[in-house]
Amino acid sequence: MSKTKKAESTHYEILFILPNKFTDDEAKTLAGWVEKTLVENGATITATEYWGKKKLAYEIKHNAYGYYGLFEFDLEGKNLAKIDNSLRLSADVLRHQIVVKPKKSAEDLARAKVIRAKIDSKKAEAEKVKAEGEKKASATLKSKEKEKDTKKVDLKDLDEKLEGILNADDLI
Amino acid sequence: MPTTKKQKECYFCVNNLEVDYKDTRTLRKFVNFYMKILPGNRTGVCSWHQRKLATAIKRSRIMALLSPTHK
Repeated sequence: MSKTKKAESTHYEILFILPNKFTDDEAKTLAGWVEKTLVENGATITATEYWGKKKLAYEIKHNAYGYYGLFEFDLEGKNLAKIDNSLRLSADVLRHQIVVKPKKSAEDLARAKVIRAKIDSKKAEAEKVKAEGEKKASATLKSKEKEKDTKKVDLKDLDEKLEGILNADDLI
Repeated sequence: MPTTKKQKECYFCVNNLEVDYKDTRTLRKFVNFYMKILPGNRTGVCSWHQRKLATAIKRSRIMALLSPTHK
């Protein structure tokens, strides 16, 4: 491997929980501190999210609620341990998790879009077919009912005809 | 009389979705009442997505988004 090769950065995502003892503003400043530690260690942040106060699925250190924050960033792999360590050692972050996210090129996004469109059209078609089928079913039901009516009329006619034949003199 | 079983389709393949550990609403579909991960043959998820799903559920359990038990 050549020395001049640029170290490739990986796309990561970090989700962290801040304890309930802070107010919303304090939690936001703490989220800013997390962002600062990321940037100091050479990360370029691509997306930020702040979910606010949420109920935890289970208590963590007697905290039933927590503030959730999320950052997406690009980073060289070797610097990840430092970030992980500093967050782990800080008493103000309840829990954090860093996950590798697949990088998406423009091609991938375009392909996903095409697939999405195809699926949507297929769904629309299926719905159309379903609606038509329902229409047909209801139409056949109606026609069947009509047939029943006509049949009844037919039976009446038949009865009359039979009576006529029976009453006729030249039966035998 | 032999009944023909309708083949289940993979939820993520059919809808072109990615498995995300933050999306608890979808993850909840693949967990039973006791919050245990359901097998792929019951939910119809393909084996490739089932592997992703299992890790996603475990990740969301760690971040207290999903409960590990039903209590």
